Amino acid sequence: MIQMEDRGNIAIVHIQTPSIDAVSAREIEEFCGRSRKTTVLDFAEVAFINSAGISGLLKFIVAARKRGHVVYAINVSPHHRKIFKMVELSRFMPILEAQELAQLQ
Amino acid sequence: MTQVEMRIPSDLIFERVVRAAAEEIGRQMGFSSEKVADLTLAVSEAVTNAIEHGNRLQRDIDVGITFRMGADYLEVRVVDKGQRDRPLEIRRRGITEEAIEHGELRGLGLYLIHQLVDRVEFSSDEEGNAFTMWLHINPGNGQSRREDQ
Repeated sequence: MIQMEDRGNIAIVHIQTPSIDAVSAREIEEFCGRSRKTTVLDFAEVAFINSAGISGLLKFIVAARKRGHVVYAINVSPHHRKIFKMVELSRFMPILEAQELAQLQ
Repeated sequence: MTQVEMRIPSDLIFERVVRAAAEEIGRQMGFSSEKVADLTLAVSEAVTNAIEHGNRLQRDIDVGITFRMGADYLEVRVVDKGQRDRPLEIRRRGITEEAIEHGELRGLGLYLIHQLVDRVEFSSDEEGNAFTMWLHINPGNGQSRREDQ
């Protein structure tokens, strides 16, 4: 469900599930501790996220922060941008545009 | 009035079934794609609450969901068998440093529901709890909604 791709200084974590919910969040939580200094979560294949899914993402972010790592998001749909802003998740996981990701590499 | 009723075991995997139904009903009613996404998320949160906090994940106890389709609104009623003397409260309105510090990473569901739907109502009796929410195709058309109800 999750595939990690190393691109030089950063790691791209491809979330390969259409739904991040109470069931699939457990798989994301299992990935806690595998972040890199700069980790980018790729939501290209994600069609649905609920609050249990947000909690799973948050656990990943908190674990990364404890290791001094930074987590970003890419390919976030307009609806999920709205939800991330609503719950202020964007403060803890800023959303990058494609050109910003290129600059990071 | 067209009505769709569902019953699911209190297992979070079946929340996905209700969510799929909500998405299809919203589409069929002519809600915008953004409103369908809002509906789907709100239904997901309400059903998750019923499974986790109402029926406490007891698989042999059902959660009942009723979609009632009005002329320009959708009513979704989620019923569990839990014993609550008061409705769930909005525990937080967003993620804060303080919440993270205390490891409080859940509790956003009810806040999201209130943000995404036009109206919510909670009732409780000895049979259990009922959480009802309404979404309108044209949210500004409040008068006609009430007459429809």
